[in-house]
Amino acid sequence: MSVPVGHYQYDQVDRDFLEARIAEFSEQVARRIDGSLSEDEFKPLRLMNGLYLQLHAYMLRIAIPYGTIDSKQMRMFAHIARRYDRDYGHFTTRQNIQFNWIKLEETPDILRDLASVDMHAIQTSGNCIRNVTSDEFAGAAADELVDPRIHAEILRQWSTLHPEFTFLPRKFKIAISGSPHDRVAARFHDIGILARPGDDGRTVFRIFVGGGLGRTPIIGQEIFDAVPEERLLATLEAIVRVYNAHGRRDNIYKARIKILVQALGIDAYREAVEAELAQMDLEHYRLTPEMVDAIQARFAVPELSAPDNAAQELASKRRENPEFDLWVRSNTHPHREAGHIIAVVSLKPAGGIPGDATSAQMDRLADLADEYSFGELRITHLQNIVLGHVRQDRLYALWSSLKEVDLASANIGLIGDIVACPGLDYCALANARSIPIAQKLGARFGDASLQAEIGALRINISGCINACGHHHAGHIGLLGVDKRGEEFFQITLGGRAENGASIGTILGPALPEDDTVDAIARLVDRYLGIRQKGETFLDTLDRLGDAPFKEAAYETV
Amino acid sequence: MKRPVRVGAGEKLVLTANRLLDGTIVWRDRLGQWQPVIGAAEKLDAEGVSDVLDLAQARAQADGVVGVYEVAVRDVDPPEPVTVRERIRAHGPTVHPEFAVETVQ
Ligand code: HEM
Ligand code: SF4
Repeated sequence: MSVPVGHYQYDQVDRDFLEARIAEFSEQVARRIDGSLSEDEFKPLRLMNGLYLQLHAYMLRIAIPYGTIDSKQMRMFAHIARRYDRDYGHFTTRQNIQFNWIKLEETPDILRDLASVDMHAIQTSGNCIRNVTSDEFAGAAADELVDPRIHAEILRQWSTLHPEFTFLPRKFKIAISGSPHDRVAARFHDIGILARPGDDGRTVFRIFVGGGLGRTPIIGQEIFDAVPEERLLATLEAIVRVYNAHGRRDNIYKARIKILVQALGIDAYREAVEAELAQMDLEHYRLTPEMVDAIQARFAVPELSAPDNAAQELASKRRENPEFDLWVRSNTHPHREAGHIIAVVSLKPAGGIPGDATSAQMDRLADLADEYSFGELRITHLQNIVLGHVRQDRLYALWSSLKEVDLASANIGLIGDIVACPGLDYCALANARSIPIAQKLGARFGDASLQAEIGALRINISGCINACGHHHAGHIGLLGVDKRGEEFFQITLGGRAENGASIGTILGPALPEDDTVDAIARLVDRYLGIRQKGETFLDTLDRLGDAPFKEAAYETV
Repeated sequence: MKRPVRVGAGEKLVLTANRLLDGTIVWRDRLGQWQPVIGAAEKLDAEGVSDVLDLAQARAQADGVVGVYEVAVRDVDPPEPVTVRERIRAHGPTVHPEFAVETVQ
């Protein structure tokens, strides 16, 4: 396959740039090792290249722009896991991958291997515009209005190494979706963008600013409802400039754009952006239809064709095999093209580590992508993997292959689809371990029929207030807190990241780990006992408030 | 990581760091060498720690380590850190028993 489906095709300029950047970093690593750079001098340099020092080793975070990779790139991850790490990697909520056992001296070699498949680790750390995230069903979903990846790529190019924006007051995260169903948590980003078709056939953008999780969770507010395509870059540039000029650099806890938007108010922020726009050279930032079309041309479009009986084939397989039927119900999404379907591969086996995949699984996923989905894979912000364009009559064969490598858990959007950050097992900032409690909960609710019975229910777990596991946005959120060196968990209920975003409210005092697992089990039991027909957990919570759940959770404590 | 470590009754302090080249967690022994097992660590009293800490920090580059700091441990053999965080550093991630770290040589 020469032009990859689903992501941008690098050219020589891109490749030369990466090569120069790796040469520079190799030099810096050598100078760190021989002592000519101190740790204080080196740290910002390694962070700019995605290299963190965690509890047990260095961690390398690799950018996956808008979450899309091809099978060659996935095989490279498998190779890195085998050759330089401990045979696995961790997919994150920002659609990136992290390797946990990296050696400083080997990092330049890893970056060279990555560059050979047009990948890198730039802008995955530091106070810059981070990897732009997007809808995992982009270009495939039946409910999509506009494929957001073209503009995501334009934003990637605009933000990459933007001279004004490499030293912002704090990190800056942008997400873009092209569907009326927000699958990117747009309102929890510094800038969230929802694209839709305009009257003239070109795209227009609804833009939110000042959302974020972390220490101070805030829902983004709409700054513009309909920015025309040609003004997109100018508008974003102006938004970031206002932030860059006024954002607080004196206090890292107050440095995010969300704090500035709160301080000024959305109307004053909008006025400041408009004032900035009024004095900018708009022509310079104009995004012309030709420019957009040129980027679009660098994406190959899958040639979809399915036999007329594809849907019947799928329906008959579902009737024959209830286990398969259950998986189809939770792990697929309607495709825009007849005879096709979107398959979501869960990285949340019961009792497993959310988001982790072994090199063997990565290799197998790459093969399956080649076989079933034009060699394309997407990483979701809920730490799963999507094969976007599967023929309905071949879905059963795909599922059968997934089963062989323990990747057929039927739990997408259900209680077993737990999002968890690395927590205290790896992370130097953590208060508590996130993974073991995720494993216990996953095992407790592992049964696929039980999960289907419970219905839509998201659990999100963060090991500290930085909220990498998005606990504020979980229907049930768990936050690890430290009580005299021991691990406790605070439970929040009612968060949601989708349309109608909201922040969960704290249920009561934090509990030790095992008590937390029991409390959640009682709380879920209570929900099953009091829900009305057809209600989801959130519906019941909205109707009755959290009192019944509080009572259940703290029953025996 | 600069908050002072409280030392309770029956507790001592040991010094730890990460090895520069590969990030491996190391502990400072009585000869001033950095060892990958906590069992080798020299146990220090609260009074004596700051001199040793200053020295170890000053020598970090020459010794090939980064981020030197002190950890409270129970005064047993091998020393057992007081906090979960440091226990995980001493023993390895709890979610991968196959990566468990030895605590004695
Ligand atoms: C293990 C290494 C990691 C470190 C040191 C780290 C560090 C941090 C810090 C310091 C913040 C708070 C920043 C702020 O509030 O301004 C943060 C937020 C965040 N991190 Fe991480 N993180 C790590 C891993 C992860 C992982 C594995 C994920 C994905 C699963 C992730 C995704 C996020 C997200 C989504 C936020 C919230 C952004 C917001 O405030 O809107 N991080 N991280
Ligand atoms: S939420 Fe805290 S513990 Fe979890 S990865 Fe982020 S910084 Fe680490």
